[in-house]
Parts: sequence; structure tokens; C-alpha cells
Amino acid sequence: MFQDPGSQLVMERVEDEVAFGLENRAWPLERMRARVPEALREIGLRGSERRRSTSLSGGEQQRLALAGVLAPAPPILVLDEPTANLDPDEAGHFLERLHELRSAGMTIVLIEHRAELAWPLADELLVLRSDGRQLDAGPVGAVVERQGEALLGAGVWLPSAIESRLTGQQPPATTGTPGLVPLPASSPLLSARSLSFAYDGRPAVADVDLEVAGGERICLVGRNGSGKSTLGRLLVGLLRPAAGKVRLAGREPFRLAPVALARLCGYGFQDPEQQFFRGTVAEEVRAGLEPGEAERVEPLMAALGLPLERFGERSPYRLSGGEQRRVSLAAILLRRPSLLVLDEPTFGQDRRSYEALLALLRDQVETGTAIVAATHDPRLAADLAERIVVLRGGALAADEPTERFLRDGAARLAAGWSSADVRRLPASDRP
Amino acid sequence: MIGPIELDERSRSTPLGRASPLAKLAVAVVWLGGLALTVDPRPPALLAALALASGLLLGRIPVGTLVGRLAPLGLAALVVGISNALVSPANADPAQFEVGRLGSLRLTLPAAQAGLSLGLRVVAIASLGTVFALTTDATRLTDALVQVARLPERFAYGALAAYQAVPGLSRDLTTLQQARRIRGLRQSWHPEVLLALLVLAVRHADRQAVAMDARAFGLGPRTRYRVERWRRQDTVLILISVLVLAAALATSRL
Repeated sequence: MFQDPGSQLVMERVEDEVAFGLENRAWPLERMRARVPEALREIGLRGSERRRSTSLSGGEQQRLALAGVLAPAPPILVLDEPTANLDPDEAGHFLERLHELRSAGMTIVLIEHRAELAWPLADELLVLRSDGRQLDAGPVGAVVERQGEALLGAGVWLPSAIESRLTGQQPPATTGTPGLVPLPASSPLLSARSLSFAYDGRPAVADVDLEVAGGERICLVGRNGSGKSTLGRLLVGLLRPAAGKVRLAGREPFRLAPVALARLCGYGFQDPEQQFFRGTVAEEVRAGLEPGEAERVEPLMAALGLPLERFGERSPYRLSGGEQRRVSLAAILLRRPSLLVLDEPTFGQDRRSYEALLALLRDQVETGTAIVAATHDPRLAADLAERIVVLRGGALAADEPTERFLRDGAARLAAGWSSADVRRLPASDRP
Repeated sequence: MIGPIELDERSRSTPLGRASPLAKLAVAVVWLGGLALTVDPRPPALLAALALASGLLLGRIPVGTLVGRLAPLGLAALVVGISNALVSPANADPAQFEVGRLGSLRLTLPAAQAGLSLGLRVVAIASLGTVFALTTDATRLTDALVQVARLPERFAYGALAAYQAVPGLSRDLTTLQQARRIRGLRQSWHPEVLLALLVLAVRHADRQAVAMDARAFGLGPRTRYRVERWRRQDTVLILISVLVLAAALATSRL
């Protein structure tokens, strides 16, 4: 089973999807008719048999994919980051199902960056080195005992309790949050008033008010389908508001020509591959730059760990996920936008590229760039954000400082974060 | 909105909804083949009307849905008809009867008839296609192609998966165009966008093929969760449609 539910669902309807694997194994019709509802019940999708799988939420689709691989009752289940697209509560719910399956005797191989949620379920840990060879395998405690330093050094995500024990302190990524660049409250960089948007009559964002000051770091959170991406795209003028107004540095972004818009704000799409247009990394980042901006390419790429001598001639499609993310960000940052909106910027990243990304974002903030990141990643919220904006069903459910959000049970529930383990440094450790 | 058509339980239980998708496909093919035999405007007009009437009565397609889906195709028919009438060589023949004149443009009777006939043919094709699409479930069509028409499974299920990927591709296209705009690149229909879309489509197809194989597709003989059979009604439907076609063609005088 794979990360992205969209590319592994084959059939049109839920029950056909579950039956697909059974048909392929030539199960008799009678057994299929008995097994399909059973498999759907096991993962909590009973009653959705005739629904179209594209009408399910991300979490439901991922559970449907699980039902599909579970239906033939395989002895071993291999899952490749199945929770990567899910909000923390959905991810927790999904992993609970895995826990039940394990209790029922199934062997599960889980590839997972979400150490906090996944490690407690594991009997054994298998650690691979970057060349694909095995570093170590065995019970979780024993592997951590033997390889603790190597795990930290290799950039493997560890549950924060283990990490603090190993380092004897807080993890390096969270040792400081950058200082605020204070701006006069009277002149926000961006202000949105009663912003609304609908897709084919289906409301996606409803009556949202939001202000962003220069240099501010905001995380936009909410369940799948709560309107985070839509709001982000409205803020940078990629969508035209159905109602309400966005003012960005005194202008309406959706009315701006591309050239002017790109110098005012940037948007990082969830999948970096969706923003590549050229055959090589060098051409990709240079596309559409003005002469003065082209000079910035080499130093920026070097700073991002993608020196042009080594990466310039490579195809952007053939880079690792973390490298792709940095190339796509470089293409945006070269124009020095004053607002950066990012959609799931930490999606599928190991710890090393996460840290590189975080350092990059902090540098941006120090030059006065405001960052709005839509995310399901509690770690990013803790490491980056000073303010959390919660969307629920397209409407603003909360807008408060990160500290308060972490104690605000109602806001966390609305965001789908009630089970997320968000750790914030003690105030004394921060500037 | 580009995307698969959603059939509800009600439209699936109508006579046209229950008919084998292959029978409906055969009717469409037979009628379209028959239309190629004539240039008279009457047969396509009759067949289009019959297709729409059976869609409304036997398929219980809501009028609004039918009109909404047909409107862009109707416009296309109008354009085809008018442009064919205007550029017809008969307009240059002084011996032909003149129907009207606009400046230097002259419209003659045979040209108008040819335009009408071609426009109506597009209307007939559009009506048949729309009624077929609005009464046919994609999964059932695939099952029928595999189980009744014995099409290779890899091809048929691949086609179903591709059909389902259409909305995703249309989302990818929007995202690519937005990515261009936010990076300050002009021309949202630049060839680079289409090339990037092709790359995304190939990658998606790749992942989907792996996902299908991971679930034992192509392992050997398969069984079917949904059984698709050819019934006597389906044969009757085809026979009736052939008679109707013959009657429609008999009205032609050209």
C-alpha cells in the first residue's frame, strides 16, 4: 500500500475496489460477496459500498485502500507511509486499525516518518542506510541502544522522548525560534475581509477574515478538505474570491499580472513536481528571472545545498523529494517575495531535509518575509509558527498564538489535532 | 466540469439503465453508420429526436441535465452547419436559387441544405453520445466489454482507470497553470505546461499500474464480482433500432 490514495485506487466504486484484489486471485463469487462487506466493516467503511471512491475524504480513501489490500487476508502487509496525507487525528485512527490487525496476528511492515505515532506499535525496527543496506534490526529499545548516535546522525525521525534522551536536551531543530520583526500593527502586509470561494457551487472557504504582518510565521491547520489550500491560493491571487477582498501590500493579488505577482508573493504547492516546467535544475530556477535576479541563483542554490555545479544539469524530476522541494522553493525565493504561502512543505521529508527547509524559512523571516504554511505536521507548527489559524469546513474556527492553541482543546479538535503530540520548548529556551 | 458522469440508483434501474452497455453501444454504432449513407437532413433529425425522447422516457434523464450536457455540443453543431453552408461551392453557382445575401456573401438553396444536413448530423451524434453516457455506468461498460465482448482485461481496466484519472488530470492542469502564474511566467497554455502535464500523467499511470500489479492483477484467470450478461431484451433493442434506422432512412429523398 502506498502514500497517495489517489494513485492506488483502481475501480470507480468502493465495493468494486475491495473486490478487485479478490477477483484477481480468482475467489468464487459467493466468498467475495461475504468478504467485501466484512473487509469494509473492519476498517469502518460499512455503508459506503456504492459510493464513488473519489467522493471519499483523504482519510477514508486511505482506509479504503487498506480494505482493498486486506480483503484477500494476506499474511503480510507492507505499507509505505500510509498516513502521509492525513491529519493527525485521522493518522492516529488509521494506526489504531493497524494495531488491531497486529493484535489479530497479522505481520505488518510499516514504512513511516511519523515516529511519534508509529514506533509505539512496532515490535521490531529495521533501519536502512542511505545506500539501501541494513544498518540494524531488532526490538525498538535494543536498536536505539546500539545505534542511537547513528540514527541521530543519519537524519532519521525519532519519537521526541527518545530524541531528548539521546541528545540529553531538546532536539536541535527546535532549539530556537527566530525573533519577530515587529511591524506597526496599523499596516498589515496582507488583509483578507469576508473572503469566500466555492468550487462548482460547493463552498470551500466561507467568510474568512485574516491579517498577516510582515515577518509573521503562521501555520494554517484543519482537517482534509477544510479549505486550507483554497484559502492559501486566494491569499496569493491564484484564485479569484467569490466574495470579499484580499489586499496584499495595498493591491488585489488576483488582478496582478504574473510578473508583478511573483515579486510580491510566492506559493509552494504540496507536490513540487506540479511546478516544474524545464528539463534541468538550472533552467528551472532561472525561468523568467530578470537580469538582477539571475545573479542570486548561484549563491542561493549553494546555500540550499544544491550547488549548480552538481545539480544544475540534472532533471528536476529525478531528484529526491527533499531536493525537489528545495528547487521549487528556490524558484520562488529568487524573486524575494514578501509573502510566502506553502502547502504541506514538510510532506514526506526526512529529518535532514526538514531541518534544511526550516533553516531556509527562518532566514526568509529575518528578511521580513511573512510565511503562511498549511500543514498537518505538528512538528512544523511547534518549530515555525507563532500563530495558528484553524479552518473548519471553510470557516475560521480559531486564530490564536501557538501557545494558546496547544492548550485549546476545542481548537485542536476542530483542527483534527486532538491526538497530536505537539511539544513546545519551555519559554526560557527561546529568545 | 470535466469528469465522469455520476449515475444514481434511480437512473440505473430505468429500462435504458438496465440494458447492456454493449447493446446501447451497438445501437449507437449502427445508427451512426446508417447516417453516413444519406445527406438528407430528415434521417439525422428523426434519429436525434428519437434518441433524446428515449433518453428522457426510457432513461428518465432529467431534462435539465440533458440540456446542460447537450448545450455545448449544440453550439458546435450550429457552427458546423453555418460554416458549411457559407463555404459551400454551390454558393458560387449563379444557376442555383438564392436564399439570401449578406454583402458579398451569397447563400444558395443546396448550400443551405448541405449545412442543415451536416449540422443535424452533428446533433444526432451528440444526442446519441450524450444519452449513452448519461445512462451508462463506466464500471458496467468495462465489465461488459470484458465479460461479453471478451476484450483483454488489461486494456479494459486500464481504460477504466484512465477514465477515472480525468478529473485528476484536470486538477493537475489547473495547478500547473497556477504554478506558472505565481512564478511570474506568462502564457498559461505554454507548450511547457502541456509537456509537464504529460509527465505527470505518465507518472500517475506508472504508479497506478504498480498498484494494480501489487494487488495481483494479471496473476492468472480472474473471477467476477459483478456478472454482466447479454439478455434477450438486449437483442430486441438492437433489432428495433435497426428497424427504426431503416424507417428513418426511408424518409430521405436525396
